[in-house]
Amino acid sequence: MEAIWLYQFRLIVIGDSTVGKSCLIRRFTEGRFPQVSDPTVGVDFFSRLVEIEPGKRIKLQIWDTAGQERFRSITRAYYRNSVGGLLLFDITNRRSFQNVHEWLEETKVHVQPYQIVFVLVGHKCDLDTQRQVTRHEAEKVAAGYGMKYIETSARDAINVEKAFTDLTREIYELVKRGEITIQEGWEGVKSGFVPNVVHSSEEVVKSDRRCLC
Amino acid sequence: MKMFNFCSCDIILLRDIIIMSENDGVKNMATVKEIPSFDSGSSQPKKQLHLAEHSAKQESESEHIAPTRKRPEPKSPSEPVTSEVLPDEGLKAIGKDPVPTEVTQTGWGYWGNWGKSLLSSASATVATVGQGISNVIEKAETSLGIPSPTEISSEAQNTEETNVKASSTHKEDGNTSPMGTALGVFSTISTAVQSTGKSVISGGLDALEFIGKKTMDVIAEGDPGFKKTKGLMNRNSTLSQVLREAKDKEELRTANEVTMATDKKAHYGLLFDEFQGLSHLEALEMLSRESEIKVKSLTNSLSGEELVNLKLELEQLREAFSLAEICDEEEDEKKEDEDFTSEITELFSQLRVSTRPDKLTKARNTVHEWIRMSSSKSLIEEEEGKQIEPENPEQEDKKTIEDIHAFAIQSLAELTAYSIEMFHKTAALILHGKKQEITALKRSKALSQMTVLLCKELSSVSKEFATCLTTVGVKEKADVLNPLITGVFLEASNSASYVQDAFQLLLPVLEISLIQSQIESSQSQ
Repeated sequence: MEAIWLYQFRLIVIGDSTVGKSCLIRRFTEGRFPQVSDPTVGVDFFSRLVEIEPGKRIKLQIWDTAGQERFRSITRAYYRNSVGGLLLFDITNRRSFQNVHEWLEETKVHVQPYQIVFVLVGHKCDLDTQRQVTRHEAEKVAAGYGMKYIETSARDAINVEKAFTDLTREIYELVKRGEITIQEGWEGVKSGFVPNVVHSSEEVVKSDRRCLC
Repeated sequence: MKMFNFCSCDIILLRDIIIMSENDGVKNMATVKEIPSFDSGSSQPKKQLHLAEHSAKQESESEHIAPTRKRPEPKSPSEPVTSEVLPDEGLKAIGKDPVPTEVTQTGWGYWGNWGKSLLSSASATVATVGQGISNVIEKAETSLGIPSPTEISSEAQNTEETNVKASSTHKEDGNTSPMGTALGVFSTISTAVQSTGKSVISGGLDALEFIGKKTMDVIAEGDPGFKKTKGLMNRNSTLSQVLREAKDKEELRTANEVTMATDKKAHYGLLFDEFQGLSHLEALEMLSRESEIKVKSLTNSLSGEELVNLKLELEQLREAFSLAEICDEEEDEKKEDEDFTSEITELFSQLRVSTRPDKLTKARNTVHEWIRMSSSKSLIEEEEGKQIEPENPEQEDKKTIEDIHAFAIQSLAELTAYSIEMFHKTAALILHGKKQEITALKRSKALSQMTVLLCKELSSVSKEFATCLTTVGVKEKADVLNPLITGVFLEASNSASYVQDAFQLLLPVLEISLIQSQIESSQSQ
């Protein structure tokens, strides 16, 4: 909370119900794995700061969505204002993998006119013995959509940090290159507070802030 | 009809200060009777008793006045069904409202959906806005002294003290001019705040809302940032927008002043956001808006008897939403700790939605545990303190008044955020959850009771924090301690406003659920 952040990114986490979206987010934001987790109602909110380079922090606002169909009309409303997303499936649940296409189709419709940078996440990789989706085929699907693929486990805290920070970095690069721009009326990316510096994506050094106060 | 201009709002708010002060000032004076020997000689109690009697009389005289925390308009401007008869109602409202006191209900927190009532009351009451407003504001600024952590040099504090004392005397002299009364109120707050013990403000929510309203005005006048926020507002801006802007400003400000790390720790808006209160509020607003649109289109498709019946039922719903009467009775506050948990759980179960208020009750119990611990610690210290002095500064458990204040603000932000989250989840489940055998009206009533309960809880928590502050800060100077205590009450008042506003956002949600179930039942017949 004390930290000053350079940008705020809004990320959305989607995927079938029970693939472990909320658990992944809570591992990332709260650092623990909840033993009991009720199905998400509508949409939930989390946030965390990520330091992508020394002194460069990004505030992530993470929208956790309900996987259940009946909440779809609520969750749909949140695509539009997201800059990035984690699309989860459960590696022990083939069906949830097959639905990845549907999820992407759905977002395509609702994200207009903006775009979302997605990463495909094969979740519950600690349950390797029950695996129903191979890494290879998941990677192929991801590549087909121009996404990165990563396997995570919220329970064993595998790749959780990496999944979020890699996505954050990717978005940050796009912002830096001007391929994603801050726009009025769009909440996906917001610039942070760097006092008295009209900052584009240029270097903002910590010491700059210090001397200005 | 729905167009209203900002000037009217300003005037109304200012006018409210004066009128409110006439009520609340009297009420607050009554608190003095409960702390008979505080700061006064032995001859005092008699006088105070007299004062109390006097005020009680006045209080009953002014009983016809609507309670300040009551929702400003039972018929909200967004109410879709009757939209075609809006002009008519507007006229009625004007006709009904010429007595200025009736409009005192308008709380500052209701900017989101004021439109109509403001307009109607404005025309009737502008004339009563008398002279001396700017003076009142000026006084408000100096005597309240808490609007934002930015200013308040100790110098200003000192002047404040003298002002307060001066006006306090005026009040006791029986000065009844509007100015005098207004000043009296501000001073009474400070007086009440100075007093120790549980009965800090017996007016409870009244007083809380009063402080909040005042301060909001003061902030609006005194803080350019807020002024801008206010200026930006139109009837489309929502509570969350207002809050978000205020928070963004605060973030910007604190980013500029790295030195003020402590401020930031205790900044309500930032903390409220930190607990995701803003996001849940926005989400709730979204559901509310969507429902409102649906209600409009569905009622437009109805006609004849169906429409008449529906209107009747909708009217009942609205009543349940407008009757959120908060009686802040003494006996209620004496209840045991566990009662809140069991009561809210019980009320929540009446809603028949597939979620529980666990997050809220857990946070609330943590808060109470914290208060209990720190007060018992300070009690022990007080008993043993005389021998142990000088106190051991290394003792980590020892809470400073700043710690308590920071925790109080944080707790209020947390409890409010979770309350709003609870309302948001409820809305989502009412709209998209599994069908339940329960009427929208029953749910409305449970929600209304819940709102009352939550506001009471916020009030009682703030009182406990105030007690805690006065106990621990007994050796502190008043100008150090008072702003902290007033700050706690202010945020508690704001919290209660947010909770009530969130509650109001549920109305369209319940309306649509009522309409849908009626359509379903008529189709199945």
